[in-house]
Amino acid sequence: MTEEHSPLSLGFPSVMAELIRRCTYFFLYDGSKVKGEGDPTREGICYFYPEETPVDKQELLCGQLAGVGRCVSELSSSPVRFLRLRRSKYAIRMKDDFFWALGCSVEVPTTSVCELLDQLINLFCFYNGSVRQSYQLNSQETLAARWGQYLSHLQPGSSEFHRIFSCLRTIDSTNVDPLLLLKAALILQACQRCPLVLAGCILFRGRVVSTQMTPKLTMKVMVHESETYSKRRNGSGASGRSGAAVSSTTVFLTLSELQYLQSAPVDKDLSSHSTPRRDAPQKKTRLSRTLSEMASSESDSSDLGPSQSPQKVSFSPCLSESDYSVSSPAPSQSADPLNLPSLSPEPPFSNEQHSLETPDQSYYQSFYSSEGGDSQVHSKGDGSVFEENSLLNGCGKEFDLRGAESGLEESHDNEEVVGDRGVDGCGSAQGQKAEVQDPPPSSGASDDPEESPLIPMMLYLHRVKGLVLALLVDPPFLSDTASMEEVYHSSLASLNGLEAHLRTISPGALGAPGPYIFTHFDCIQSTLTTNLSGRPGGAPEHPFVRATSLLHSHFCNTKTLQEAIIRSAGAAVYGTRSVAQETYFQQHGGSLRNSGIPNHQDSAFSLPSKARHRLLKHGVNLL
Amino acid sequence: MKCLLIASESAEVLFHWTDPEFQQNIQRQYGESQEEGQGLPAFEDSMSTLFAPIIISCSTMVDRLSDNYTSFTTENNHIYVLHQFDECLYIAVNGDGEEGEDILRRKIYVMKKMVEVMFGMVTLSSQLLRRELRPQDTEQRGRLWKHLQSLLETYSHLRENDQSFLVEAVERLIHPTLCEQCIEFLERRLVQQLNSSAERAGEEVLHAFILVHTKLLAFYSSRNASTLATSDLLAIIIMAQNMYPSNEDLDDPSPEDVESTSGSGHESFYTPEPSPTDRDSSSSDKAERESLPMFEFMDPDVQMAEDSLQALEAKMVYIPMMPHSMYCLPLWPGITLVLLTKIPTNAVAMSVYKFLEAFAKLEKCLHEGPEGSAATRGQLAINDIRSKLDKFIKALGPSELQSAQLLNVWTEFKNRAYARGGPGFNKDLIPWCKNMKTQLCGIYRQCFLIDPGPGDIPQRLSQGLQERAQTMAQEKLMDWRDFLLVKSKRNITMVSYPFSKTNPAPFLPTYLEDFPGLIHFICVDRSTGQMIAPSLSITERTTSELGKGPVARFIKNKVWNLVSTTRRFLRKGYSTVTLRDGDFYFCYFLWFENETGYKLEAGDTPILPDDSAPIGMLAWDYYRKLLRYYSKNHQGEVVRCYELLTVHLGVIPTEIILQHCRQLASKLWEPSRNPLL
Repeated sequence: MTEEHSPLSLGFPSVMAELIRRCTYFFLYDGSKVKGEGDPTREGICYFYPEETPVDKQELLCGQLAGVGRCVSELSSSPVRFLRLRRSKYAIRMKDDFFWALGCSVEVPTTSVCELLDQLINLFCFYNGSVRQSYQLNSQETLAARWGQYLSHLQPGSSEFHRIFSCLRTIDSTNVDPLLLLKAALILQACQRCPLVLAGCILFRGRVVSTQMTPKLTMKVMVHESETYSKRRNGSGASGRSGAAVSSTTVFLTLSELQYLQSAPVDKDLSSHSTPRRDAPQKKTRLSRTLSEMASSESDSSDLGPSQSPQKVSFSPCLSESDYSVSSPAPSQSADPLNLPSLSPEPPFSNEQHSLETPDQSYYQSFYSSEGGDSQVHSKGDGSVFEENSLLNGCGKEFDLRGAESGLEESHDNEEVVGDRGVDGCGSAQGQKAEVQDPPPSSGASDDPEESPLIPMMLYLHRVKGLVLALLVDPPFLSDTASMEEVYHSSLASLNGLEAHLRTISPGALGAPGPYIFTHFDCIQSTLTTNLSGRPGGAPEHPFVRATSLLHSHFCNTKTLQEAIIRSAGAAVYGTRSVAQETYFQQHGGSLRNSGIPNHQDSAFSLPSKARHRLLKHGVNLL
Repeated sequence: MKCLLIASESAEVLFHWTDPEFQQNIQRQYGESQEEGQGLPAFEDSMSTLFAPIIISCSTMVDRLSDNYTSFTTENNHIYVLHQFDECLYIAVNGDGEEGEDILRRKIYVMKKMVEVMFGMVTLSSQLLRRELRPQDTEQRGRLWKHLQSLLETYSHLRENDQSFLVEAVERLIHPTLCEQCIEFLERRLVQQLNSSAERAGEEVLHAFILVHTKLLAFYSSRNASTLATSDLLAIIIMAQNMYPSNEDLDDPSPEDVESTSGSGHESFYTPEPSPTDRDSSSSDKAERESLPMFEFMDPDVQMAEDSLQALEAKMVYIPMMPHSMYCLPLWPGITLVLLTKIPTNAVAMSVYKFLEAFAKLEKCLHEGPEGSAATRGQLAINDIRSKLDKFIKALGPSELQSAQLLNVWTEFKNRAYARGGPGFNKDLIPWCKNMKTQLCGIYRQCFLIDPGPGDIPQRLSQGLQERAQTMAQEKLMDWRDFLLVKSKRNITMVSYPFSKTNPAPFLPTYLEDFPGLIHFICVDRSTGQMIAPSLSITERTTSELGKGPVARFIKNKVWNLVSTTRRFLRKGYSTVTLRDGDFYFCYFLWFENETGYKLEAGDTPILPDDSAPIGMLAWDYYRKLLRYYSKNHQGEVVRCYELLTVHLGVIPTEIILQHCRQLASKLWEPSRNPLL
């Protein structure tokens, strides 16, 4: 069973308190602001969590940790990565003059804290671009609010296991008709027929239904989605309304992320001749979470598309697919939709009404189109755009396809800001292209957004109640009205149908507590299956959680380790891992009373075979 | 890239050790601002400048957050481990990936242990210890640091290469007959003769033992002696190894070599130069004999019932460290006779300990609060010793500078505490408690650490007596010498079985035959602090059943990693661990038995924080505390604790592996076959 209730949603105040206690501090300190003897430490504090911490304590922690960090990194000629105190531990990142520290309680595995900090920084870069430039362009308060939001997204609500494995929250696939998952995958593939769409994912109530992106990228995308989702739910009058809306926001991809997306197989029959990397069949099935769970033959049927297959999609832009591949030389730009001025004839602020007929709805929707012409970008670009609607990202905007809601929630200041973030070479679509075609030597190797240039892209979101279609698109997509409409229309009915189905699925009654607990982590897809969460037992002091956490860090440190059984007086836990998965299993009941002396009849040593049998029905194959 | 540093709170370097790479690294960083060839003090300055910000930040964190750093890791995997003992901050660094955090922490604790063994209860006063560790005189400081550095290097070498220092338990030579003969020799002849001699200058031999390299051949304690803790025995072995290092290339004779050289030509094995380690070695012609004052730890409160290991730490204010003299007499290279004697002024140490404890108790009570039972308790502690301390000071005599100071402070203390209308027992007395403790430590130092003047020299076993002891032991072991040297390298091997008294048949089965697929095992009796394991010789010259060179080294590394892994799990309360790692299957078991060998039910093992003292017996006896913790529920029963580690080939079915483990666990310690006597 996929964990369906996080401890929080079941309302255990103690668990909430526990989680907050466990992530103690997070701060970003800018050493360049405190160079002179007399400079007060507070000048360098860009963000400090919890914000209510007294300033002198903030100064103390920032000053001491950053100071000690610098001293140690000078001694070792390498930045500090980790710092441990008696009562807490800190993951550290030092980059240029910036110093990040994320403090957790000592029980959290070291690797997990480091990963959490990386996630946090990557998340910031994903929505804001380079940190240095963000701080040049924005007020500290604005960015503080964003750090706060990313932090709150990563932190609470996640169970202990999510903390240990940093995995994606997915819908309970055992509880869902596989055909629905197939349908979701097909919607995504249909969207990719538009060459401006790189990849996408479908989320339902904050959980992944299907994704074409890497787990890390999916995780980043989900932050925006859950942010807007919760805003909508809590917003006045917005909740419960069956409103479908389209919105978009600028995001920044690392070069390796972009290359991965562009090399990924996309169902574009017309351009099968292109890049050599694009059509590895294994990759294809792996990319789509849902399809990997089907028979491989089914994936071939994808081109049939859903019943509402978008006949009207113009295929001509697909010819330019090669333009997106990293390796291809820059062709003549004439065929490139990115630069076709004819596609963006309207000025950016025009609220052109498009009449869109959908199967169940027959009213006009206002389409706040935005046009991404280079000239406009440069003329309009200034820092103020970040003060816009979404705190997550000021440059986000929403397109409301229903006039009824227009003007209530969104700023109409639909400025196209694709190119104006000041990221080097990204001022125009062409500049961006140039960069893509000229990767730095370390391309792909580094996931560090601070290391490699960040490439602005757009995140397009189409919401149908609790369901969201999120697409990473090339910026010109938003000015390409035809493509946008095609994508919108081709998916709308399917999304509605999918939403209706998913909604009716009960949250999946947790079976009676079985005679065993397990947790299964899919390292490739970053998904977790467990039968523990939702019970109060998910707390960190639970012996199973403790054992899992310990074994996980041991697996991380010992590459050759395949399986382990560890036993304390109270519990015996079996852990096994392969390249693709980690599984932990504990058997309840039965007398664990033993002398601790080696004995082959000991129940602890039958755990591996028990796990193999028991977990089969959860779709976990340990054979 | 290794370094160990002890610093005071004011960032003064009290001791440092660096390997050449680390030194080069420091010099490179400091190269520009420093002239070349300035030697030690200049390097010391660089060290202190570079580490100062870390040390000062530590103090700040303690003062303002009551928390402290325990470790740093950099992206290129340099590890810094920090630990503060009292006012001394220990920092251990590794930058070459050879030592993990646990090893560095262990090194720090071992360093502290060695300092305690050298300075005894003086270590209880940070103020005095600072002066002891960093003598003003540069030459003296150089000598002391060199000695400590070489102890640290000896320890590191043993930890990396000797299984008994890996698991921190003593390994005995498995030869029951010879062992018995030797014990008899030590008891009936050697110790008796020494203790009845007039040349012993009031000293009394309490413990005598023979070491072959690091392995114990025979151990004898006189009847009125307290037990020598495993921790102290291991520390003494380090010291003995430091004086007479085993030269691995030379004294690793293959059997053929022994044939050809037996009986004569032992010079060729002679250890070149014993390192001068102590002021006693000034008499150069007797350089091969060393005697050292050392301090044995006594456990005053065995009956203490404790709820947890932490509580135990809190309850023991101090561990008394009783002065002993250690005589290390080399018989041949690799074979050493060690004598531990009680010195005549021993009683002073016991008194000082009792006074120290009383003041420490009072200080603690005063910290807890002025009102209520705390202050009363503290007052009682002092009332108990008041007249004794008066007498003690009187007995010391007024001539000594130190005792005059003690008298002054004590008088002032009494004035404040007892004078009518005076401040009485309140927080104001705390500094005076501290002052009293410092003075008492000073007395201890004066009695046991300061070089006795030339007139006092006879206060030790005479040279003649030492020589006689040496000769007697040499005569006793002459015929066994070469056998012992070989035996110590191949104590048990996988192709032999340990000798058995009950089954001395010539064609014993071997481990390889009895346990197909078994590659290695280590079994430890934690109650006695002894271990047994097949030899893991990995020198190029000898071919063990593990093969030569790389294969043996590979297995050795696996074993070393396994021990550190199992300790990590044990620290978190897991007493059984099995791991399938590559082509191997590892098992670890810890269990308890009563005296008759009945297996007791597994108990909870306490969960320790990550920065707690390392699990082992050398620096901090985890197992003794574990035994007491476990014994809470087994009152009136003698509880024993055992550990077994095995390495099997991964292809062997798990059931078979577990059967092997079970057989090994019961066989090795069966009374009838117990190779350890």
